[in-house]
Amino acid sequence: MIDGLSRRRVGGGLAVVVALWLVAAVAFPDSWARALLGVVASPSTHTATLRLAVPIALAAIGGIFAEKSGVINIGIEGLLIVSAFSAILVTYWLGAGESTLLVSHHWWGFAAGVLASTLFALVFAVVCIEFKADQIIAGLAVWLIALGLAPFASRIVFNSPNTAGVGRFQNVTVPVLSEVPVVGYLLFDTEPQVYVMLGSAAAGWYLLSRTAFGRWVVASGENPKALDTAGVDVRKVRYAAVLLSGFFAGLGGAGFALGQLGTFAGGGDTAIGGRGFIAIATYLFANYHPIGALAGSFLFAGLDAIQLRLQNLGYAVPTELIRTIPYVTVVVVLVFVGKTRLPEAAGEHYDPGED
Amino acid sequence: MRDDLEVLLERLVHASVFERIVISVAALFAAIVVGGVLVFVSGGFASCRTGLDLAGWTFCYNPMQVYYELFLGALGHPLEGGWHPLNYDMATTLRETTLLIFAGLSVAVAFRAGLFNIGTQGQLVVGGLATAVTVLYAAAIVPAGFVGTLVLVPIGVAAGALFGGLFGAIPGVLKAYADANEVITTIMLNFVAAGITSTLLSWRFQDPDSANPQTARVPEYAEIPTIPYVGFDVRMDFSLLALGFAVVLMVAVAWMLARTSFGYELRTSGIQPEAAAYGGVAEKRMIVSSMTLSGALGGVAGAFWVLMQHGRWLENVPPIGFDGIAVSILAGNNPLGVGAAAFLFGVLSSGSRSIGTATNVPPELVGVLSGLLILFVAMPEFFRMIGGRYLDLGAERPARADGAGGADDD
Repeated sequence: MIDGLSRRRVGGGLAVVVALWLVAAVAFPDSWARALLGVVASPSTHTATLRLAVPIALAAIGGIFAEKSGVINIGIEGLLIVSAFSAILVTYWLGAGESTLLVSHHWWGFAAGVLASTLFALVFAVVCIEFKADQIIAGLAVWLIALGLAPFASRIVFNSPNTAGVGRFQNVTVPVLSEVPVVGYLLFDTEPQVYVMLGSAAAGWYLLSRTAFGRWVVASGENPKALDTAGVDVRKVRYAAVLLSGFFAGLGGAGFALGQLGTFAGGGDTAIGGRGFIAIATYLFANYHPIGALAGSFLFAGLDAIQLRLQNLGYAVPTELIRTIPYVTVVVVLVFVGKTRLPEAAGEHYDPGED
Repeated sequence: MRDDLEVLLERLVHASVFERIVISVAALFAAIVVGGVLVFVSGGFASCRTGLDLAGWTFCYNPMQVYYELFLGALGHPLEGGWHPLNYDMATTLRETTLLIFAGLSVAVAFRAGLFNIGTQGQLVVGGLATAVTVLYAAAIVPAGFVGTLVLVPIGVAAGALFGGLFGAIPGVLKAYADANEVITTIMLNFVAAGITSTLLSWRFQDPDSANPQTARVPEYAEIPTIPYVGFDVRMDFSLLALGFAVVLMVAVAWMLARTSFGYELRTSGIQPEAAAYGGVAEKRMIVSSMTLSGALGGVAGAFWVLMQHGRWLENVPPIGFDGIAVSILAGNNPLGVGAAAFLFGVLSSGSRSIGTATNVPPELVGVLSGLLILFVAMPEFFRMIGGRYLDLGAERPARADGAGGADDD
C-alpha cells in the first residue's frame, strides 16, 4: 500500500493540478485562479508564512527530539501554551517597552517563556521516565493542565482569560544582505523569532545527525538496550531529549506570542489553537527530519497565510475547511505516501534492570 | 487455549480492580492537594481587601472554601437550609454526568480493545450535527405530540450513533488496513470533524433567525422528555430518563464485555493481540468494529447533548469528548467505574459554576484540576513508591485488600 508507485502517483497528480491552475491563471486574468496566483506570488504572503510557521516548526523540532529518544510527547500543544502565556505575563510584569541590563523586557519575557516550557517538560519527563506513566496519557494531561492553567492565571492577573497587550518584537534588518533580491526581504529583514526558527532548525539537524548526542537519542528510541550496553545512561539521554523538546517548544510559543500576537487569548482553544498538534503532524510528515519539519511547517503555515489573504480580498473561502487541510494531509500521508515509522521503542519504558 | 486465556483475563481484571480503585482515589486526593496549593499560592498574586497575611504577602484565596463550593455547590449546598434535591446545580451535575457516561464508555470500549480513541470529541461533534439535522428533517413528516417524541427521539439518537460510528470507523479502517497509528489519526480527525461540521453548518444548516453559528431548534416534543412530578424542571435541561438510559447502556456495555463472545474477543485483543489472533479472532475486523462501536457511543453523547441540553446543535461544542478520556482513564476503563468517574467529573463541571459565583477564584481552576487528576492517574508507580516507602517505615507487612491485618501471618 505504501510504495514508490503510489508516491509517484500522488506527486504526478499534484503536478497536474498545479499546471492546470497556472494555465487557468494565465488564460483568465479575472479568475479565481489568477487571484490565487497573485496571493501566492506576493511578498507579504511569504513573510506571513515565515511568521506563522514559527510555533509549528519549533514545536515540531522539539517533538522530534522527544519522540526519537523514545518518549512520545503529545503534550507539545500544552508546552506552547505555557511558554506563550508566561512570555506575555513576565513581559507585562517587568513593564513592556523598558529594558533591564540593556536587554529589552520582551527578551526577558521570551527567556521566561522558554524556561517555563522547559520546566513543564521536566515534569513530563519525571512522570514518564521516573514513574513510568503512559506517555500518551501524561501528554494529554500536560495539554489539559496548560489549557486550564493559562486562563486561570490570566484571570488572576488580568481579570480576564485574555492578557493585556505588551507590544511585539521589532523587525531586525541585516544591513546589505537585506538588499539581496527575493531572499533579502524574506530572511534578512524580519522579526527575531524567524531567525530563531531558522537557526533552531539548523541546530536541531546538526545536533541530531552530526553529534554523539544525536546518535544516542536515536539509539535510545530504537534500541535502548544496546545503548545501555554501550555504557550510555538511557534515562539521561531521554531526560535531555524531553527537556530539549520543552526548550524548542518554548522558543516557538514565546516567539509566537511576543513576535506575532503581542497578547495572549486563554479562552476556548487558547491563541495557540491546535498548532502543537499541527506540529506533531509536521514532524511525522517530515519523517523526523528537522529541516524537513521546517519545510513542512512552511507548507501548513503557507496554506493559512494564503487563506487569510484570500479572505481579505473578499473571496468567500470556506476557512474552516481549509484549516482542516493540514490534518487531512497527515492522515493521507500516514496511509499512502511516506510511511512514517515510529522509533522501535517509542512509548516504552526502559528499565536497565531487566534482561 | 480459550480456557487458559479466560483464566489469565480473569486474574488480570480482578487483581487490578481493587488496585485501580485505590489508585484513582489516591490520584483524586493528590490532585486536590496540588490544586489546593495552587489556589493558595495564586491567591498571593491576586488583589483583595481581606486575606491571610503571611510575611508581608496577602493571600486572597482559601482552598478549603474553594473545595467546599466546588463539591457541595455542585449538589446545591445540601448542608445549608432550604435544600431541595431537584435544584438547578444538581440538574447541571447530573446532566454532565449523563453526557460523560456516554463519552467515557466510548473511550473505555476502544481502550479495552487495546486502541486509544482520542477522537470521541470528533465523533460527538459529527454525531450531534447528524442528530439535529435528522430530527429537523424528520419532524416535517412526523406528527407532533407524544407520537412525535416516540418516533423522533429514537431516530435522532440512532442518527447520532450511526454517524458517530461511521466517523469512528475511519481511524479503525486506517489502523487495520494501513497500519496508521490511531492516536495520531483520531487527534487529526477531531480537527477535521470541527472543520467539516462548521462548513456544513454555514453551507446549509444554519439557523437563519440567529447570528450565532447554530442549527434551528428541534421541536420541543423531539427533546428528551422529563418525568412529570418526580423529575427535574424542563428548563433545567436534564432528564432522569436520559440518565436512566445512560446507566442501562453502561450496564449493557459491561455485560457485553464480560459475558458475550464479542466482548471476550474484544478484551483478549486488548490484552494479548497475538494470542487473540491465534485463538481465531479476526484482528482487523475486531479493530474496525471496536472503533465503530466506540464512535457510535461518542455519537450518542452528541445526540443527547443536542436533544437534552440545547435542543439544537451549536458550533461551539464543549470538550465532553476530551473529558470522556479523563473519565475512562480514572475509571480504569471499567464500564461500571465510568459511572462513578462521570459523576465526579459532573460535580467538577457543575461546581466550577458555584466557585465562579461564590468565590473570587477563577472557575478555570477546574480545568487544571482535571488535568492534574489525569496526570496522577497516569503514574501508578508514583503511588506504589510512596506506598512502599510508607509501609517500610511504618508497618512491616503490606496492606491487605480484604482488610485482614493484625497478626503476623506471613
